[in-house]
Amino acid sequence: MTIAGFILRNALRNKRRLTLTILSVSLSLFLFTTLQTALRELTQPPSTSDSALRLITRHRVSLANVLPEKYQYRIQQVPGVEVVSKFTWFGGIYQDEKNFFPQFAVEPEKIFRIFTEAKVDPLELDAFIKERTACIVGIKTMERFGWKIGDRITLRGTIWDCNPELVIRGVYREGIDETNLFFHHDYFNELMNDLGVTGTFWLRVRDEAAVQPVIDAIDASFRNSDAETKTETERAFQLGFVSMFGNIKMLIGSISTVIVFTMVLVTASTMSMAIRERMRELAVLKAIGFNGRQVFSLILAESFGLAMAGGLLGCVGAWALFSNIDVYKATQGFFIKFDVTPHILASGLLLAGLLGAISCIAPAWASIRMSVVTGLKETD
Amino acid sequence: MTPIVQIRELTRVYQQGEIDVTALDNISLDIPDGDFVALMGPSGSGKSTLLHIMAGIDRPTRGSCVVRGVDVAKLSETELAEWRNHHIGFVFQTFNLIPVLTAFENVEMPLLLTGLTASERRAHVEAALELVGLKDRMHHQPRQLSGGQEQRVAIARALVTDPTLIVADEPTGNLDAKSATEVLNLLVALNRDAGKTIIMVTHDPKAAAHARRVLHLEKGELLKDEETPR
Ligand SMILES: Nc1ncnc2c1ncn2[C@@H]1O[C@H](COP(=O)(O)OP(=O)(O)OP(=O)(O)O)[C@@H](O)[C@H]1O
Ligand SMILES: [Mg+2]
Repeated sequence: MTIAGFILRNALRNKRRLTLTILSVSLSLFLFTTLQTALRELTQPPSTSDSALRLITRHRVSLANVLPEKYQYRIQQVPGVEVVSKFTWFGGIYQDEKNFFPQFAVEPEKIFRIFTEAKVDPLELDAFIKERTACIVGIKTMERFGWKIGDRITLRGTIWDCNPELVIRGVYREGIDETNLFFHHDYFNELMNDLGVTGTFWLRVRDEAAVQPVIDAIDASFRNSDAETKTETERAFQLGFVSMFGNIKMLIGSISTVIVFTMVLVTASTMSMAIRERMRELAVLKAIGFNGRQVFSLILAESFGLAMAGGLLGCVGAWALFSNIDVYKATQGFFIKFDVTPHILASGLLLAGLLGAISCIAPAWASIRMSVVTGLKETD
Repeated sequence: MTPIVQIRELTRVYQQGEIDVTALDNISLDIPDGDFVALMGPSGSGKSTLLHIMAGIDRPTRGSCVVRGVDVAKLSETELAEWRNHHIGFVFQTFNLIPVLTAFENVEMPLLLTGLTASERRAHVEAALELVGLKDRMHHQPRQLSGGQEQRVAIARALVTDPTLIVADEPTGNLDAKSATEVLNLLVALNRDAGKTIIMVTHDPKAAAHARRVLHLEKGELLKDEETPR
């Protein structure tokens, strides 16, 4: 036998305690991992180098205010701007409200020059551009509704008083959110009786050096007009969008804290029970020559091991689960991706380790300080 | 030859709230190498206290206890732990084996703190179990053994490190007459054949009769030091 074997034997001595502790730690860490992943997905939109070159111009007051279409000509003139497209959130209903997915009216020939990461078959793109009522759809939404190219769908307007009747002419994948539907802004405008507005403009600038000058130039150009603009990077825009969910970060943060706190209580009480019922054995160990530090190490290793076993089960379990289920389908489109990153995994495991250490400190310290003679008098 | 244990003017006072309880009162005592001493006396007379001080798990209030030239009270807690591992073998009334370990593993425990290799440890453990006549039970857990067998495993654990002293606090207190005799005969054999120095606390005059020497304590004082005929 070795010291490690002895620690293992101690950890395994009460199977029920072992199972319950590991289960409660693993459930807590599963929850923790899930919450942290959700938080990350909500607050950190993908940021590729392409996305750094994308800007959004919107009404300075809010996203609910629209901009005049004609702003486009002035934006196009700003040095550094490569392409600019009208971009309107349609927010229609497909058959039923629960079938939510994002829909945008855009300029078909420009949209994939802005979202350069997305992959589209050139023939499909061509078909999408040429037909006034055509739309192009992300692969995830295609699969979700089992659509095929050539299918006809009708969106029922909620924000806008019109019902576009669209025909699917193409599919895009990768790079950007694969759930969107894009259709012609001209068709939208026609249905709206030439209203001449757009929700936002999305543009792509030449290089990163151009980002700030373009932002400044556009907003300066519309200052003191009826509709002042606010131009920002895609990332800033999406972060602002997320804050519309309310203070989600704080909510998730406080739930996580409660979980961690509960875990500490559970493991601490388990460890203190485990140590208390072993006071006499620990005294015997000291009598036969184990010093305080060695006894402490035995207890620490056992507690750490228990917490780590639970932690591994919970964190790796979450990782395995979320990489094997289609989170997009399971959450009905709320989460597009749900990546348990190495960073989140590591913080979960670190937490488990700390938990194991912290929860045994008080009882371990008490058992070390107790004299051998007192410990030997303990009854089982 | 210098005695293996030299106790000089040893006093141990426990503070129990306001009152001081004098468990040992100015005791002086020599125990030569190879002795087998029985400590007798009424309950509360200080037998266990004296044994604990000699074994380095309690400290004198005044006076000294020198074991093989080392004043035990002068060692730090950590030094004392290592000292116990080298010099003391404990036998308890309630055996105190570790329930999740086999007989073999229980005996091996004190050796885990030494630098011995696994095969050296195995040889020592098997020799010790052989000596107490339980080699065939080495893979049994304590609950699969009788009380007498448990105590013999405990004796194997006490002697496996080849300690200077074996201390036993009422080793037969929880055993039936037959097992008690077996255990006592084992201690006698260890003393006679292996030259082990043994100090045993007991209430039982029949047990004490197995020792070479019986010491009587009363109210913390040493009464008489009588040689028992062998
Ligand atoms: N930790 C302690 N705190 C206070 N008093 C103690 C402590 N340990 C022992 N005593 C007291 O010291 C005296 C001697 O105790 P000790 O345990 O040495 O007696 P003993 O001879 O072994 O008795 P027994 O035969 O009942 O085991 C007793 O009066 C006891 O109450
Ligand atoms: Mg006693």
